[in-house]
Amino acid sequence: MVSLTYRLLPILIFKEKANPSLCPRFVDSQKKRKFSAADPNIQRKSEPQLVSAVCGFSKEKKIHRLVKGQFGDDAWFSVKHKTADVLGVADGVGGWRAYGINPGEFSLNLMRTCERLVRLGCFAPTNPSDLLAKSYYELLFHKKRILGSSTACVVVLNRENSRLYTANIGDSGFMVVRNGRVIHKSEEQQHYFNTPFQLSLPPPGYQADVLSDQPDSAITDNFPVEDGDVILVATDGVFDNLPQNLLINELLKVQGERCASRLQTVANSIAWMARNLSFDETFISPFAESAFANGINTIGGKPDDITVLLATVTI
Amino acid sequence: MSNFECFAESVLDYTARYNHNMTISYGPENLTGKPVKYPDYGDCVDTYMLRKYGRWWIDSENSQKHYMTQDVEEIPSQDYVTLRFEATVIPTAVVIYETYNPGSVVRIWGRHTGEQWIILWEGKPEICPQTSRYFSPPIRQISDLINEIRLDLNHSLLTYQTALDAVLLAGKQPTSELQRKLLSSRLLTVQMDKYIKNESNCEGNLIDNVFTILPYDVIVHIFKYLDIKTLCRCAQVSKLWLSATLDPRIYSHLSLKRYWHKVDNRLLEMFMERCRALRKLDLSWCGNDNKISEEVFTRFLENSCKYLTHLSLCHSKFVTNTSLKNITHCCKDLTEIRLHDCNLDLYASSIHDDELIYILQNTPYLQHINLDMCSNLKRLDNITEIVSQCNRNLVTWSSWKIERMTAIGVRNLAKCNRLRELDLGWCFISSDPEDCLEHIAQGCKDLRRLILSRWRGVCDHLLLPIIRSCKQLTQLDLLGVYISGDICDIALVSLPKLQLLDISFCDAVKPEQVAVFKEYYPHVAIYHSLEFGV
Repeated sequence: MVSLTYRLLPILIFKEKANPSLCPRFVDSQKKRKFSAADPNIQRKSEPQLVSAVCGFSKEKKIHRLVKGQFGDDAWFSVKHKTADVLGVADGVGGWRAYGINPGEFSLNLMRTCERLVRLGCFAPTNPSDLLAKSYYELLFHKKRILGSSTACVVVLNRENSRLYTANIGDSGFMVVRNGRVIHKSEEQQHYFNTPFQLSLPPPGYQADVLSDQPDSAITDNFPVEDGDVILVATDGVFDNLPQNLLINELLKVQGERCASRLQTVANSIAWMARNLSFDETFISPFAESAFANGINTIGGKPDDITVLLATVTI
Repeated sequence: MSNFECFAESVLDYTARYNHNMTISYGPENLTGKPVKYPDYGDCVDTYMLRKYGRWWIDSENSQKHYMTQDVEEIPSQDYVTLRFEATVIPTAVVIYETYNPGSVVRIWGRHTGEQWIILWEGKPEICPQTSRYFSPPIRQISDLINEIRLDLNHSLLTYQTALDAVLLAGKQPTSELQRKLLSSRLLTVQMDKYIKNESNCEGNLIDNVFTILPYDVIVHIFKYLDIKTLCRCAQVSKLWLSATLDPRIYSHLSLKRYWHKVDNRLLEMFMERCRALRKLDLSWCGNDNKISEEVFTRFLENSCKYLTHLSLCHSKFVTNTSLKNITHCCKDLTEIRLHDCNLDLYASSIHDDELIYILQNTPYLQHINLDMCSNLKRLDNITEIVSQCNRNLVTWSSWKIERMTAIGVRNLAKCNRLRELDLGWCFISSDPEDCLEHIAQGCKDLRRLILSRWRGVCDHLLLPIIRSCKQLTQLDLLGVYISGDICDIALVSLPKLQLLDISFCDAVKPEQVAVFKEYYPHVAIYHSLEFGV
């Protein structure tokens, strides 16, 4: 077994949010009507938002350089805008390494561009697949040639109507859990076993040989969320290694959690479990089960980069 | 009064951007909000970058020579960007976070939305060390409330593209309604411009007497050398001088770009009386905030612009398709039209292709065409075909960032044998250029400047024909093209006149190789810009 010390690299994103229940009492009094329109602070408290935490690991045992928003070939972002809270993960396709292309670059830039688009307000909270498409299109305009391909999953909490809008391409995904029950779960998109749908920018001359799915092939969904709902957005490194019941057990612990640091603890433990199981050679992982269903006889976890974005809805 | 600081909230206007307005990469939008890169230094997508730098664009044949050489500013502004801030303050400081090749800011203006622009600071462009800069020049103390900032930029001294990350406006905010009222009614400002009228006019008579000896035509000829400001002053001297300043012969060339903040309908009408036979007209940057109406401009065209040869309307908001049609109707002798970056709506209409083709067909002597970032032009093959048929005298062609350009289009362009400058940067970011470079190499042997930034699928052997046959090349831009160091070496050896070689973001060229090139070819400016510094 490998040592613990250098791999546990949780990154705390958001400071703890003020608990609305601790708000001064005047909210209940008659003053409420007077203030709620005029004072933006009070207005904001009643708006739905996400409290979130992130944790992840690179599958490399040695970490060379820690870049914010990246775990190995995985990338993530988490950003707040006045109309929406947005989370996203992307998993760079490792096969590009054989062509001398760094697979992490495509996914990282895709996510960073998403983040920038949200921050600058160039997105519609109701259309996350358009956000992905825009971000993909932006990559063409980088001076630096960005090549590679990636799966992607973007989740947007629209503040206006407390609905979650999602878009997913490939085998990364999200899961929404309420009181231990899975409300929504993303569908995997695969061309064939272990070959997910992917956005790609192949090098010239390789277009014909590369699987390239357009951003509009993303599966989109939208559904209402309630206060306390737990949202997990993660790459296949998590879903392929952690059985769903284990995952739900963990997610149950943060049902209705508003404290970012307690959320962080659970995010860490999910990532850590997935990490351990991915190197367990005797464990019958969801990946092994699915391989078996496809006629491939394998056992053990699937060593992969792991990214866990955990969030709870506060309304 | 309370102190207040805020970062830019939105971008209102700009004259230059690196990408077209469908994207945010390198776009002016990145100026809003807190700095994201500062204090890092480098060529990053999340800052506002300008394309032009140094003397390369001024030297280009395509560059606009000043239409009124007697009226050139000491520190010309080449581009500007206007920002709005959330709060209205009396400014005490403006901070500009520059994260790549700093030193281009030459003027800072401020105003409250809808009011007159006030200059806050003016200074020469600087040559700065290659680090990020926290630029906070001492600004003029004014007692007006402002919520908009305009930065004028001059990139003539830059060694490479500049990047701005954020702009901070710091100032004092009135705390009470009384303070605000006092300020907005300008009771605190001293009325400086109430000048005293001098009644004695004996001196004027004296001047008049002296000048009546001079033939009238000589006075007019002398006046031709004066800039507009001086002319206005002269007009106040005496009746003789006034009539001389009204002579249409003085106004064969008119450039009002410098006075963008003063130009409106009234001024244009005033010039309409004076200008009868304009040859060159520059109304760039003028007429924003609806200060010039299309109707007045059309009248101006009909009245004063029959013999126009040069017309520049860069970033003039009043220009629409109708006025463009009027231009082609009124001005048959045009050799230069500059609509670069002008009114983005122009190309958003449905007849843009036909409109352009109409202009092309009606101006056989056109030498320069600049269609940079006109992202709504669709039938590029058609346009280039017309160009190759009707505009054989073409010297420069620029279609930076027009993705709809195809290999057929470039082959059409290759038929214009007199082409000396060809800017096809970012035209093939996703499509395949095929063998069009070979056609260019065969057709345009006199090429001086060639920009192929970010062409997809260009490799060493596709570039070779260009290097072999275009021996006059002085500038070669290969930013982001997948070429090896060897071909750069061949280019440097076999192109004797080469002055500029941009191989930024060419991953296959190693920094060590670039260092060697720089040592062996000191006369060539070699740029190898990277995401993290040079």
